Amino acid sequence: MQSAYIGKLMEIAEHDNKVIHLLADSGTGYDEMFRYNFPKQIHNFGISEEHMVAAAAGMATVGYVPFVYTAGAFLAYRSLEFIRDDICFQNLNVKIVGMGSGLSWSSLGPTHHTTEDVAVLRSLPNLMILSPATPRQVAACVQATYEHQGPVYIRIGMNHEKEFFPDNYTLKTASNDVLQENGDISIFVTGSILEEVQRAVEALGKEGYGVNLINVPVIKPLANGQILSMVKKSRLCFTVEEHNVLGGLGSAIAEVLTEYGIGVPLHRIGLKDTFAVGYGTHAAVRKANSLDAQSIYQQIKERL
Amino acid sequence: MAEKKDSKTILKDLRKQIFLIGYRGGMAHLASCFSCLEILYALYAGGVLKIDTTNPAWEERDRFILSKGHAGLALYAMLVHKDLMTEVEFASYLQEGGIIGGEPCLRDSKWIEATTGSLGHGLSFAVGIAMALKLKGSSAKVYVLLGDGEIQEGTVWEAAMSAAALKLDNLVAILDCNEIQKMDFVDKTIGVPRWQEKWDAFGWQVDAVDGHNVEALQVCLSEVNEKDKPRFVIAHTIKGKGVSVMEQNPNWHFKLPKSKKEKAAFTQDLGITEAEWEV
Repeated sequence: MQSAYIGKLMEIAEHDNKVIHLLADSGTGYDEMFRYNFPKQIHNFGISEEHMVAAAAGMATVGYVPFVYTAGAFLAYRSLEFIRDDICFQNLNVKIVGMGSGLSWSSLGPTHHTTEDVAVLRSLPNLMILSPATPRQVAACVQATYEHQGPVYIRIGMNHEKEFFPDNYTLKTASNDVLQENGDISIFVTGSILEEVQRAVEALGKEGYGVNLINVPVIKPLANGQILSMVKKSRLCFTVEEHNVLGGLGSAIAEVLTEYGIGVPLHRIGLKDTFAVGYGTHAAVRKANSLDAQSIYQQIKERL
Repeated sequence: MAEKKDSKTILKDLRKQIFLIGYRGGMAHLASCFSCLEILYALYAGGVLKIDTTNPAWEERDRFILSKGHAGLALYAMLVHKDLMTEVEFASYLQEGGIIGGEPCLRDSKWIEATTGSLGHGLSFAVGIAMALKLKGSSAKVYVLLGDGEIQEGTVWEAAMSAAALKLDNLVAILDCNEIQKMDFVDKTIGVPRWQEKWDAFGWQVDAVDGHNVEALQVCLSEVNEKDKPRFVIAHTIKGKGVSVMEQNPNWHFKLPKSKKEKAAFTQDLGITEAEWEV
């Protein structure tokens, strides 16, 4: 995912020298690759995320397009007021890239987990929120981010996510990606956890359940029309996200269904208003928090 | 043609206008406005800021950011003085349908460079602008006004390190050093601050100036930065300057005159007439 992010950003930076990659001591070899190619379009502010966010806003007033890039947790929580006042309130063209979405930084524990970022940031006016699931979707999100005039937050996983989309995939902001349309159960999923959900859906399919699988890369603004039409065709709906069930994708869809008076049950699968437990690999921590394919399968099965 | 007023008379008039607009609005940070008024006057009326009064979007303009946003009324008063904001707009402060409030917002005027209000944002924002101007090859400068209570915010020091590392010699931070914050004197709150030593240690060129002496401010603020260094100007000021009951009195951070004695001081020091008290 990092490779997809940097690859696309370099492609954009090559054509637009106003695009600036900003770091808070958060770079890796990928970022050094960017530095090698575009030494004047990268700056490491050091460990000072709020400062980086506010400075990026200042740069945007002079016509630059800063991409601020560090762990999502240090952006969404630590820098929240700076994102709010300096970027969103002033509607400046700054791109906020949160690396390590959900439980990606599994072994470092909840200080590094980004499991409430959507809840926190979704309430900020003017902010578009993107949550890609695969490398090609990351690249498409970066392109869409660049083309959108205004603030965008992208949350990106970092653990070699599987690809489910074709080479020529582009992001559609008015609709979501229907990966499977096969029955009267609809599952909406966002972000890297798509791969776990895919396996859960395969297991359900083998047992003869007809499932629609809808990937939602754009959490805000939500493609309401398509979500409503999928839900209306369903007897049961689920959302799956590597995020607290409060305030994330599940909440966003629940708001839409309530507003339109759609009486289809919606079950939100995610962290049940807790901080994640356990340490180890991403897969192990997902499992410890009932967010692996088997646990997701079970949680869906129980409701069928 | 009206007789040309001297700066002292103008500044007294500006204080009166700020007071009347704030009083009619029902709330204002008068003491903070009065402490930095000469600084703003030197910047806007004293020719320090290079701006094109016909074009707020002029790319080569110097930028000014009021990081201590609660002195917004003083900034708006200066914009009115420079004919960059109308008196009607100024008088709409806190009125129904009005366009200006207690803290400067980008949306309120094309002459506002940054939305401020939450303290500790402006210097970082200014660092970003200064970086971008350097990248562009522009020779414009960035001025930012900080409060000596404000710089207790941690992000200010992130910005202080960053500006020195970036060698932003197009950046001038001015400290409105009135030694009082909302609840008390600064030194009673955080100990003796030693700003000179601190900013020097952070790699800035540090200068000091009488923050109520317009001529001295004009000279000081017009100086070119030492090569590769951001500049920190400690402007020694008096909080509530110009009204005896407010001067150096922490009780006046966010207060309007109520008692007869307080009103009498405003009447005497700013020349408020009986009719003006009635409105």
